[in-house]
Amino acid sequence: MTDLLHDARVSRGQFLRMMGGLAAAAFATACSTRPQTSTPSGGGQATTELKFIGVSDQKAPMDQLVAAYQKAKPSVRITASYAPTDQVQTSVRTQLGAGNAPDLHVVYPGSGSAMSMSQIAEAGLLADLSAQAWTRSIPEGFKPAFQLDGKTYIHSAGSSVIGAVYNKKAFEQAGVEAPPTTWSEFLSVCDRLKKAGLVPIALGAQTPWVTQLITYALVPSTVYAKDPTFDDKQLAGQTSFAQSGWREAMEMYLELQKRGFFNDNPNGTTFEQQTSMVATGKAAMAVQVSAVLPDFRKAASSPDDLSMFPLPGAGDAASVWIPAGVVVGLGAAAKGANVEEAKAFIDFLGKQENINAWAKAIAAIPLVQDASSTIDPAVESFLPFTKDRAVPFMDQRWPNAEVQPVHFAVIQELLAGESTIDEALRKMDEAYQK
Amino acid sequence: MRRTFLLEIVMIAVAVAFLFPVYTLVSLSLKDPAQISQSPLALPAPPTFANFTEAWTAAALGPSLVNSTVITVVSLVALIALGSFASYFLARVRTRLGYGLYVLFLLGIVLPFQLGMIPLYGLVNDLGLIGTHTGMILFYTGIQLPFTVFLYTGFIRALPREYAAAAQIDGASHFVAFTRVVFPLLRPITGTVLILNAVFIWNDFFTPLVYLGGSGYETVPVSVFAFVGQYVSQHGLVFAGLVLGAVPIVLVFLALQRYVIKGFASGLKG
Amino acid sequence: MTPLTASRARPARASRRRFSVTSPPWLFAAPALVVYAVVVLYPAVSGVVYAFTDWSGIGEDMSFVGLAQFRTLLGDEQAMGSIGNTLLLTVTIVVVQNAVGLLLALGVHARLKSRALLRVVFFAPVVVSPVMVAFLWKYIYNPDPSSGLNGLLGLRVDWLGDPSVALWSIAGMVVWQYAGYSMVIFLAGLEGVAPELHEAAMIDGAGTWQRFRYVTWPLLAPAVTINVMLSTIGGLKLFDQVFAATNGGPGYATETLSTVLYKQAFVFGKYGYSTAIALVLALFVAAVSLVQVYYFRNREVAA
Repeated sequence: MTDLLHDARVSRGQFLRMMGGLAAAAFATACSTRPQTSTPSGGGQATTELKFIGVSDQKAPMDQLVAAYQKAKPSVRITASYAPTDQVQTSVRTQLGAGNAPDLHVVYPGSGSAMSMSQIAEAGLLADLSAQAWTRSIPEGFKPAFQLDGKTYIHSAGSSVIGAVYNKKAFEQAGVEAPPTTWSEFLSVCDRLKKAGLVPIALGAQTPWVTQLITYALVPSTVYAKDPTFDDKQLAGQTSFAQSGWREAMEMYLELQKRGFFNDNPNGTTFEQQTSMVATGKAAMAVQVSAVLPDFRKAASSPDDLSMFPLPGAGDAASVWIPAGVVVGLGAAAKGANVEEAKAFIDFLGKQENINAWAKAIAAIPLVQDASSTIDPAVESFLPFTKDRAVPFMDQRWPNAEVQPVHFAVIQELLAGESTIDEALRKMDEAYQK
Repeated sequence: MRRTFLLEIVMIAVAVAFLFPVYTLVSLSLKDPAQISQSPLALPAPPTFANFTEAWTAAALGPSLVNSTVITVVSLVALIALGSFASYFLARVRTRLGYGLYVLFLLGIVLPFQLGMIPLYGLVNDLGLIGTHTGMILFYTGIQLPFTVFLYTGFIRALPREYAAAAQIDGASHFVAFTRVVFPLLRPITGTVLILNAVFIWNDFFTPLVYLGGSGYETVPVSVFAFVGQYVSQHGLVFAGLVLGAVPIVLVFLALQRYVIKGFASGLKG
Repeated sequence: MTPLTASRARPARASRRRFSVTSPPWLFAAPALVVYAVVVLYPAVSGVVYAFTDWSGIGEDMSFVGLAQFRTLLGDEQAMGSIGNTLLLTVTIVVVQNAVGLLLALGVHARLKSRALLRVVFFAPVVVSPVMVAFLWKYIYNPDPSSGLNGLLGLRVDWLGDPSVALWSIAGMVVWQYAGYSMVIFLAGLEGVAPELHEAAMIDGAGTWQRFRYVTWPLLAPAVTINVMLSTIGGLKLFDQVFAATNGGPGYATETLSTVLYKQAFVFGKYGYSTAIALVLALFVAAVSLVQVYYFRNREVAA
């Protein structure tokens, strides 16, 4: 009986209609004050309204590019709304679930979150962008972030790196002249900073996503430098977190804590406090993603004091690898009245000058570069790595959305001294296999 | 006398302690970043209103205030009309079915909102009401009916039946007896219903985010939190945004606060 | 409120004879019932169906899996742990919020010059959005010894970051916001206690405590019922505050049933499982409320 039920696959559309048809029919005609998506304007020409829902970090570049698009194509109006990541995720998934996707919405690259390109594309809800010109220049290493089964479903303006955001004044104060290039140099720099009365590394682990950044910064050197095909092997079940350099990375993470290089109470400290500690020079650095550089600069009295260097996760400088991941992007809904107009907007975003503009606003490395591309001076020290010593952010290749939140939680438990590395890796492996 | 005086001192001390979070909120919103990091606890010296002007423009609160007001006011009118009529019936009907209906309404208080979230969104979408005031008003009227019915029914049960009966002896219909005689007697509990529902509707963040996001009809909390999400690292600015979002509902509360206590007082006698 | 009580008996009987069957018509309840059915009942009932499926929350793929989701729940370490947190949080909130609310009510019920103002002060946090309150308290609870609560009290507590403290910190924030709510309901009950009863007890030589225990407390029974019920339901369903303050962390220290079911639906993409948890939560809340109503009604009758 249960098996019969188990095999009875139903279309959700049919199911919803079956359940809701009656109630909906009764009210459908009652009152409809919905603003028309196509309203006649000026000279009898129709205006298309496109709805976009994004995360707060996308507001700055989008505002700029939407205004530019308005000029280029006055017949299309884009109404955008933004909210913090958690809320947007809930909002967009509710709308996708009920079959009413916004024309354009935020999409995360790769596969490791409920709003990721491959999870939404697998459900058939993202429009195929493969025909657009810009997709042909997606670098080989980034393809898994953009593509599922060879088709492109997300647009992103470029990549950001994870490394140490540091306050140059604080480094000078402690007599540190050049950023460290090996793990032991890094430790001795921290030591000197500490002796100078500074917090060497600000850590805002109360904000869940911040917890992962130090592991992400180290794992490229402890795992991928030794085995660039680690992701494929892990997917095939040939290796695991517990059997790999993930263990070493976690040990290094905890060593920083043991040596007193973090601020007190990292689990009670938020991203905002972390930002202001570095910006005001109370702390010397923070391991962060380059996309939040604008936040650090906003909080600092002189923004030029802030720069970044790659976190050296290996004993010799030549084996240091860095994480460079595609930044959060957007996609177009596969179904709906305005698919073509929505895709046209994405095509517009794919133009070189617009990729440059978006990347500049969030201190990212443009997806493709030309003479007019600018690269934030703070991330220049990462450029030598991006060609062959960089790996995408780990979650972009994880098979489900549970591994990442488990990673957040186990790091908090480790920082609180309530768990062991064995336990933490076991939990992550369990989540990976779900 | 001395004991009353002593109690007064104690209660005022408790109130001052109670106000510490409010003090933190308001004083930080009046400080610049330097003051916040150097003297987080002190009074703002000198106070700056720059946070408020910046928050007001950046969060585009003007249009949101209009949206929130329209949605809240119309939902309240609908809730009071539907809720009071239904409760009058539920409080007076003497059949088992009537009691069952009352219990059915109360069930709405215990259901977690997540249970029906996606089907409800689908339904509102099928009705063509996503991104409209009407959709939000329909939502709030439905979702807050259980609590409204709970408050009204308790109150009406404590009212003697004679008022309406007397009117009916004079030849009035049920409708006239209710609207002319009974409803005015419900004023205290109506005050309570008004303020508690207004608080819920005005402050609700999640539903308007899902239903109104990107429509141009965003409510105050949606605008405020979009703003907060963007300026998280600037506490003064964020707190100024939070203050601006809360001021209207606090003012409404201050205007209605007498009724809140009275309404409960008379409702509980039953 | 009851000026007619004295003359109740006679006209009532006379009118009841003539109008005994004229309860208000069903039509009075019909519009409310329709809206309620459309907005609450129908979505909840059709939502429940997902608890028996493996739907991810998006897309067309869905199979019926019978009771499999409920079996998963039984073996889910994390969800089971969150039930413990939920109960602990609820009991703490119910006890502390109502104790504080009662004390405040007794305080502002006395003939104080400032009592009108005090009532407003204590009730004011109720009107502010819970998400906003959580934002504010997140700052107040920051571990820096020179600002927020630590700065005020000269402490060095990591309020939200220490797994053994965080749950209590959340309870504290909720109590701060809703103690005024309990206060108002108790105050309403206190205003129903006739002053003559106190005078009579005083003449009999009863002290303050005895008067409270034997005169006030029994008459507060309805207020206690409502307060305990509302705070229990609020505690069991608590979501906004936890979500905004800790999001369940550090680790899983403040994960409640509501945050777990939220994460399953929107973070992990397991809508079917999430609905199963929501259903269990709903049944649980309903059962607890029923038991409370039954128990307290008996107690009110006895008192």
